[in-house]
Amino acid sequence: MSVEVRIPTILRTHTGGEKLVSGAGDTLSALFADLDTRHNGLSGRVITAEGSLHRFVNVYVNDEDVRFTGGLDTKLNDGDSVTILPAVAGG
Amino acid sequence: MARYDSILDACGDTPLVGLPNLSPSDEVRLWAKLEDRNPTGSIKDRAALSMLTAAEDAGVLKPGATILEPTSGNTGIALALVSRLRGYKLICVMPENTSAERRQLLELYGVKIVPSPAAGGSNQAVAMARKLAAENPDWVMLDQYSNAANAAAHIATTGPELLRDLPTITHLVAGLGTTGTLMGTGRFLRDNAPGVKIVAAEPRYGELVYGLRNLDEGFVPELYDEKILHRRISVGTADALRRTRQLVFDEGVFAGPSTGAVLHAALVVAGEAVKSGSAADIVVMVADAGWKYLSTGAYSGSLEEAAEALDGQLWA
Repeated sequence: MSVEVRIPTILRTHTGGEKLVSGAGDTLSALFADLDTRHNGLSGRVITAEGSLHRFVNVYVNDEDVRFTGGLDTKLNDGDSVTILPAVAGG
Repeated sequence: MARYDSILDACGDTPLVGLPNLSPSDEVRLWAKLEDRNPTGSIKDRAALSMLTAAEDAGVLKPGATILEPTSGNTGIALALVSRLRGYKLICVMPENTSAERRQLLELYGVKIVPSPAAGGSNQAVAMARKLAAENPDWVMLDQYSNAANAAAHIATTGPELLRDLPTITHLVAGLGTTGTLMGTGRFLRDNAPGVKIVAAEPRYGELVYGLRNLDEGFVPELYDEKILHRRISVGTADALRRTRQLVFDEGVFAGPSTGAVLHAALVVAGEAVKSGSAADIVVMVADAGWKYLSTGAYSGSLEEAAEALDGQLWA
């Protein structure tokens, strides 16, 4: 299975400048563990030492904010699209 | 009754109109709450009036005071009207990648604009305004991102209006900015109409807007309480623009791009209701009309051209 992951500008230092990378995993945490084997340090920027999402990072699976779909336990399927974005204000 | 003592008294009580052509069936219906029918043309009139009045009541705002506020536009314009009528000076910190109409309207009302850098979007405007407020202790910063009176406006007015006009409401879909609209209206509906799902449509801008120097510059409004929402859907510029046009073509409703994002999320919800065979009455919050975005190119040329024109702009 393969999942495509969109990387925000601020985290591309971990992907050699790539904005789109692919990875694998049945859950979001498995995906980040897989990504970290090729993109050293990426996982640590998104997931805290306590194992939760960094407060100022939002992660979406097929446009759904994962904080409402099970967090890092969110299930992934082949062909899913994962987007990582820093939290920004509106208004 | 459609007679009011002043324009400020005409804030709120906006129409809720059906969207029969976009609704998938008689059982799954979409309804648009037309917040562009407020005094300065956006839902922010409710928040501005509420925050300013609360500050007056608390004795924080003295006659002739100077108000400072970070804004991507609508809140600034709403505060400008109330400030004008009540005799306050207003300074707005606004990202430079917002539409020309917003700046023109603010200047017309006599507002001083302090531009903040495009990269980093509203986060930078908030940071700059908070720094300016610390340096100028006599200025009053209402701070829409943390001000409880922002959400309270929607607990007191928007929420009750929705439940009055649509007692069968099953979903509220609205845009996520300061989070005030969703926090206030959502809280009211959770307390008074259990079972209603609160869905946030979050605009996904071009890369420039996310150009922070480090992740710690990220920003989550103090008002935001994740527990109010059931779901949060990210909507990109192209989808938002496509839906904004669809709203004009199919229903004749001329709304701003953020409403396109809200409609996109509402149609996701509607599609799921149809699939599961359940009835739904879905409210689409129309935060403002399209007038203030005409110069951005959002409504002209092909969708691809429009999306390109809005890339890097704060369109919600």
